[in-house]
Amino acid sequence: MMLPAAAVFHFPWEISSGAVQEGDSVRTFGRLVSYEPEESRATLSAQHASKEHHVVIHTMFVEPFDAIIGAQYIILGEIENTESVGSVVRARVLNCVDGVNIALLQKAINEQRSFFEERKCKQNEAANKT
Amino acid sequence: MQAVTVDPEEELPSMLWGLDPIFSAFARLYIKDILQMKESMQVPGIYFYNSHPIYKVDVLGTVVYKREREDFFCYGVDDGTGVINCLCWKNDPLKETVEPQKTGEKLSDGAQGGFDPVAELKKFHRTHQNSYRLDIGELIRVRGPVKTSRQQREIMASTFYKVDDPVMAVQISWMTEVLQLYRLCYDKPLHLPQDATGVSVSPLTKATWILKDFLKQNSVNRFRPYDVQDLLQPVISSPPQTASVDQEAGPSGCQQLRNLLKDVLQILQDEGVVYRKVQSQDPVYHVTERDTDLLITVKDIIREDSKRDKYAEKGCHVLHILSAVRQRYCLNVSKAALELLLQSLECNSDIISTAHNHYTIL
Repeated sequence: MMLPAAAVFHFPWEISSGAVQEGDSVRTFGRLVSYEPEESRATLSAQHASKEHHVVIHTMFVEPFDAIIGAQYIILGEIENTESVGSVVRARVLNCVDGVNIALLQKAINEQRSFFEERKCKQNEAANKT
Repeated sequence: MQAVTVDPEEELPSMLWGLDPIFSAFARLYIKDILQMKESMQVPGIYFYNSHPIYKVDVLGTVVYKREREDFFCYGVDDGTGVINCLCWKNDPLKETVEPQKTGEKLSDGAQGGFDPVAELKKFHRTHQNSYRLDIGELIRVRGPVKTSRQQREIMASTFYKVDDPVMAVQISWMTEVLQLYRLCYDKPLHLPQDATGVSVSPLTKATWILKDFLKQNSVNRFRPYDVQDLLQPVISSPPQTASVDQEAGPSGCQQLRNLLKDVLQILQDEGVVYRKVQSQDPVYHVTERDTDLLITVKDIIREDSKRDKYAEKGCHVLHILSAVRQRYCLNVSKAALELLLQSLECNSDIISTAHNHYTIL
């Protein structure tokens, strides 16, 4: 039995900036701005620091789906680097979550992250002491 | 109250696990932690997160893998920190195949306009089945004990169901709650009251334990006080509060030891663990449960008297047995000792209690 790797939350701007490595499993969100069924390609967009960030999604594994332009989606998948558009997420889960409180979601993700970072720091300290 | 902190490196003795409230709860741990927590060396199937004993967990995550067998589903659940396999047994209705809804059915429903129990029941079954039959991408909640099979950790679901979360409200509040739980409970080291670890148990209790243990371990039938006096020495010489160690040495220490032994023997007598067959200057204590003559006498009394009309129906009352024992065997047998003996006879299925305080032979 092969379980996939855990899809860790990443913000769309982290993916579009290329901060995530190829092959990593991620989960991210964004507003659907375009969908090209013949290419199996969708684009999600999110606002951050007064800038618009786009994430390109390869949708072959999740087709067919109801593409509602302008709706919020959440996706789970793996990062792939392509020559033409850079980082692409090959989605294995795609859910429409229109109406989601994005601000609250971001807060929850950030809090969880800082919790894990704090814990890692503490563990490192403990390891250094001994 | 004074408390001791459990060393994270050290495993808590299994007897004390119940004192940790997390042990009896479904711990909402991150899947990452469920996969990494250490298994107990004392009891397989119990795990430790931060010195907290854990055996059942509660997770919420996306289904990223599924396999269906005749009797169960295997769901791979991803909560964003890890992926764990969940074994979800099917209940009986789930084993039946789902009938696809026929279009004709729907039409006739509408045409009649009435309430059709058969159709409603079918509809109900379908909804019911759908909440257990999940697809990849759907949200699942699983509760159950953690198991390790073939070196892989998995959750044996005692409960599982699909969670409808169209705007992620459930997931977001779950993330926040779990974080709080970690901060307030799981990451707090376990504090046990001192009594629990045996540090501040009174010398008398400790001495009683020691003596009881000694009698049991060595199958002692009878003993004189001075035979066992030395056993209690450690309790006297290492009192928990060590402030006045020096004063306790010497003759007063000896006196203390004798007094302690006297108290301990009184407790054992009150509990019925030991009794004195003969009251004499040189006291000999008999261990009740190991006094075979007494055992035989009690059994004989119950056997014979159960046949008498008076006791045939209900069995012999404990006080009747007691007076008979005192007449036939020894005047000094206490009620507590007899009760202890009856208990052990019942454990061995020699006798059985027919009603409260009534016993008959098997």
